[in-house]
Amino acid sequence: MSSTALPDSRLTDGQLTDAKWIPRGEERTSLSRFLLWLAPWVVVLGVGVYAAGLCLYYGLNQTNMDNRFAFGLWIFLDLGIIALGAGAFFTGFLVYILKRTELRPILNTAVVVGLICYSGAVAILMIDVGQPLRAWFTFWHPNTHSMLTEVTFCISCYLLVLCLEYIPIVLRNRQLRRLPSFLVFEHQLHKLVPVLAAVGTLLSFFHQGSLGGLYGVLRGRPFAYRHGFFIWPSTFFLFILSAIASGPSFLMLVTATVEKVTGKRLVAGEVFRRLGFISGVLLAIYVAAKSIDTLVWIDFTSPSVGFAPWQYYMHKPFGLPILFAEIVIFGLLPAFLLTYRRTAMRRGWLLSAAALACGGVLLNRFVLTVQTLALPTLSFDEFLQYTPSWQEVASFGGVIAYGVIVYSLSYRYLPLFAPQQGDDAHVSGH
Amino acid sequence: MFPGIDGFHWTVGHVLFLALFFAVALTILATVTSALWRTAHDFRSHCAIELCWKQDFADLPESDRRCRHELAGRVISKTCDNNFDCRGCENYSKFAVLPATGLASLGLNYPEDRFYHRGHTWVKTEEDGTVTIGLDDLAEHLIGNPDSVNLPETGSELELNQIAWRMKKNGNEIRVRAPLEGTIVGVGGPKQGWYLKMRPSREAHDAAALRHLLRGPEVGGWLSREMERLQLQLRPVHTAPSLADGGVLLPGLMDAVPDANWDAVLADTFLAP
Repeated sequence: MSSTALPDSRLTDGQLTDAKWIPRGEERTSLSRFLLWLAPWVVVLGVGVYAAGLCLYYGLNQTNMDNRFAFGLWIFLDLGIIALGAGAFFTGFLVYILKRTELRPILNTAVVVGLICYSGAVAILMIDVGQPLRAWFTFWHPNTHSMLTEVTFCISCYLLVLCLEYIPIVLRNRQLRRLPSFLVFEHQLHKLVPVLAAVGTLLSFFHQGSLGGLYGVLRGRPFAYRHGFFIWPSTFFLFILSAIASGPSFLMLVTATVEKVTGKRLVAGEVFRRLGFISGVLLAIYVAAKSIDTLVWIDFTSPSVGFAPWQYYMHKPFGLPILFAEIVIFGLLPAFLLTYRRTAMRRGWLLSAAALACGGVLLNRFVLTVQTLALPTLSFDEFLQYTPSWQEVASFGGVIAYGVIVYSLSYRYLPLFAPQQGDDAHVSGH
Repeated sequence: MFPGIDGFHWTVGHVLFLALFFAVALTILATVTSALWRTAHDFRSHCAIELCWKQDFADLPESDRRCRHELAGRVISKTCDNNFDCRGCENYSKFAVLPATGLASLGLNYPEDRFYHRGHTWVKTEEDGTVTIGLDDLAEHLIGNPDSVNLPETGSELELNQIAWRMKKNGNEIRVRAPLEGTIVGVGGPKQGWYLKMRPSREAHDAAALRHLLRGPEVGGWLSREMERLQLQLRPVHTAPSLADGGVLLPGLMDAVPDANWDAVLADTFLAP
């Protein structure tokens, strides 16, 4: 190529700009405002990394967990974000396997949310388990009798799948796509994404289930112990159902939050309603299954191991209202609001219901993790109280901040949403 | 878990789990390998540039993907689904015979002896079988005098819709697409009034070889839409869209309206991603 030199003009009027990296036809806030938005999250992430470093260097004495309270805030976080991240595999399954193409506009953001959730969960597991340099032991010397083995294998593979699904999105960046090799690879990889979606569905089905199964097989913890089908306790299936019910709701919430922050309408209202309906129907099925499971547990499972079920609810604050809230307020109510046409047509009701559905799955994971361990199981046991240490809270915050940063960068530089046309393109009031 | 490792037993459960795990791992590996192999194959078989264009074309707004027959007024509404390459379009002949409603070229100079590419280049066939390629009048009006021009070497080969040359103006990079495939036999520049001389891969005097380029009544229809888009894009910020009722384009618009979102304007004008 013959050329005439020209000075690099990235600096415009003394201001650094990244306009050339922003997707074509998209408007983004100025780089300085964007950096200002990122700054507090970077601080939170920094504190989280420091706290994680302390835990890795000094060990779990930095936490308030002990031999009895072996699962705390971190495992609650893991279970919560893995359940909420289920929107990634489930949306992929709906679009690529069931051909529900109307959900395609939400697909890229589902992948990013899934990647954030799963990578965040793996990071926090590394701190909790410790000795990350020996992580390969899990694969080479697995405990063949542990459901966590299946979880480890499946989460690792699924994280790899999510990374592969994220690559085509990254390669569509405006500057990266100018390299023909990147664009062609993106094209070819994208053609094979249905295969990855199918693999992701299989992996997610098993690890979501095994995470639930993990609690169901705890014979020594009759509050969590469940009968089941073949080798799988009922919690195996309840975890899968609750994850695929709350995943689409979480996608709605994330998208609505981004719309609020950016002042733009990113996906059509019909996509929200469709996601809400799917979420609502699955939530209704989950609530029915959960109710039957609870009744079976009250009448058979718990008495069979020598406990009257009402004993579990005598310890405040874990009274019956929590069970009521889990099934009715965070289950039945959002299922109704998401599926009833008149409420589903109103954005406020739809998003409130989605928030309740997500709150419900978090409450369920909290109950199974914290309440299970807090309750006494032997005659000389006491009701335990656990308050996470600042290191646990900071690591937790670090993962949240990591998620916000990765999503913000992805939203700014990658084509997560197709540009909206017409009057619908701006949220009123912004 | 694995054979040879302490505690491993050949049980049905182990075999099933291992078979499933390795099937998943192999599927993931095969998927990535397949994508890489196909990518390499596309480059070896010279399909890569065409694939890139297909990707870029798919990302164009629907308003920019109108069929030439719609531009000419032969059909009311039709989106191109052939990546602007009418040479392989099954419907071309069916619509080409319909009467066109031609539009004037809005005060711009679009000689009728030339063919026009949607990326705002013209192609003129020469007696010796070569073609001359230059920027069309609208693009010339936009850019005025470019700050720098980066042309391909003589002898290099270009594919249709490949980036043929690059220019810079006020810090904006302008990437101009090749309107034709062929070998570069000469390079010019803004002062010469043309940029490339090319020996096309297909015989230039064969009408079918240039069938993908606009000519005649299609040019007016296309230009009127391009002008409408420009008016919308160059309107002052926070003002409602309004259409001018006359006048002609200023030469050197990029200098005359420096505050416009030229990044977006240039991307739309030159079909850039």
